[in-house]
Amino acid sequence: MKNTVLYFYAIFLVLFTIFSYAFVDPNLIYMKNIYSGFAFENRSIVAILYILFVSSFFVFYGFFIWLGIKKQLKLKDIFVLVSITIASLVFSYPAMLSYDIFNYITTSKVLFFYHENPYIIMPIEFVGEPFLSFTHAANKIALYAPFWITLTGIPYVLGLGNFIVTLFSFKIFITLFYIVTTILVWKISKNIISVILFSLNPLIVIETLISGHNDIVMIFFVLLSFFILMKKKVGWAVVFFILSMLIKYTTLLLIPVFFFVIWKILRKREISWNNIFYFSALLMCAGFFLSPLREEIYPWYEIWFLSFAFLVPNRKILLSTSLVLSFTLLLRYIPFMSLGTHTGITPVIKSVVTFVPISLILFYFAANKLWRKIYYR
Amino acid sequence: MKNEKFVCLFILVFLFLFLSKTSFAQSNYVLPYPSRMPGSLSYKLNLLYENISKYWYFGDFGQFDYNLKMADKYLVQAKTLFEYRQYLLGYKALKKSDDHFAKTSAYLEEANRKNKNVSNKETVLKKAALKHIEVLEKMDTETPDVFNWEPEKVASTNLYLKKDIESAINIRKNNL
Repeated sequence: MKNTVLYFYAIFLVLFTIFSYAFVDPNLIYMKNIYSGFAFENRSIVAILYILFVSSFFVFYGFFIWLGIKKQLKLKDIFVLVSITIASLVFSYPAMLSYDIFNYITTSKVLFFYHENPYIIMPIEFVGEPFLSFTHAANKIALYAPFWITLTGIPYVLGLGNFIVTLFSFKIFITLFYIVTTILVWKISKNIISVILFSLNPLIVIETLISGHNDIVMIFFVLLSFFILMKKKVGWAVVFFILSMLIKYTTLLLIPVFFFVIWKILRKREISWNNIFYFSALLMCAGFFLSPLREEIYPWYEIWFLSFAFLVPNRKILLSTSLVLSFTLLLRYIPFMSLGTHTGITPVIKSVVTFVPISLILFYFAANKLWRKIYYR
Repeated sequence: MKNEKFVCLFILVFLFLFLSKTSFAQSNYVLPYPSRMPGSLSYKLNLLYENISKYWYFGDFGQFDYNLKMADKYLVQAKTLFEYRQYLLGYKALKKSDDHFAKTSAYLEEANRKNKNVSNKETVLKKAALKHIEVLEKMDTETPDVFNWEPEKVASTNLYLKKDIESAINIRKNNL
């Protein structure tokens, strides 16, 4: 791989990191010295810049996939690319697109600082708590599963009571899970394309390394569970599968697949892992599309099925749909970015950018199949 | 003229005696619906759940919430049982409510000692105390002073209900 591309990629990521600081929240007292208000006063410019950044990210991503297909990208090159991505983005401002990391930290503080049960006591009940001014879900009891809240004790304690250190220790903590999940994708698939598809996917990278969402932690534990099942060790697999459900309850959807694999192992029958990952992707995809029943489709929910879809890159429809969704889901942020409201036309634009391209892709595959049937009759 | 004055005074006294209602201290604090009543299997299961959930409500604020929730629950249970003249069961429920209510302020003091701002919780506790007093004063007017409980095959017991209700009111008044 040419070094020029590496330099451009690194410069691009550093610029993206700088851009993320345009979104510093005015209520974030700990960063008042670097607050510019740029993202809130220049909404159109910021939206255009964001589109350019996301589009460029996908151009790089496409190029890396192309290099992978041409066998010009080795495992060592991917290691370099992943390292550059981490080194550049780990210091980005995490609440550029979502405030979830503040919710993680505040929930953690309720348990580890105030020694109260976050499933009973809401952060808002701590009058005078400085985190309340920028925590968006302060009026809710813990939204996260117990193992996740327990794990957050590690970055919280490492933060030593300093908010900025805590914030970045949470980001580094999430980054570690991104690294081990990438390794796991390689261990499971032994396919360099799968590793490129997963580790350099802009949605996974942005939602994990910038926004610091915990979905990657859940995916790590569920993939680890399947990896152990591949080694026919049922006991540990069950433990890690339960742990993944206790990070975020979504992997409950995989129970049928999980028990089917255990049944096959106990009966000493052949297992088609490609089919297992394919159906896992479909089940997680169902969970993704059912998420509006609870709240709405959030872009980072795509990580649930992307991780499985990329393990079976030969499934063309699934792969194409996943890639198109990766791009369009990141565009869901634009209406709020440019209009500054979650109401009015914003939800309509969000639905259009999410569902129109994916419908066109599915229509294309259906029409293609129909045409082939007619042509070869 | 003298007769007219007498008639007016009579009408006023009549209106005061027969049309006036007893009013109680009012609070916008909302008590829960009556829970399961003693005597069923589901009630025993509910007691088990209560005992387990005590540990789930860890922390000073958690214990404050738990005890206030239990105080509310058993007060409503006592009121309902008194209305159905189940005085012994009602008496036991009232004692449970008193015990839980008495614990609430201790947890707030502990939280305060740990530098947690308890002002909102104190307001909630005051509102709860006012509401409890309102309910207890109403119960006081509808309950006999002493009730002789005569269970089968065991000696009868006198329940000094008025005294117990007044004691319950005093426990609440300590938090006003």
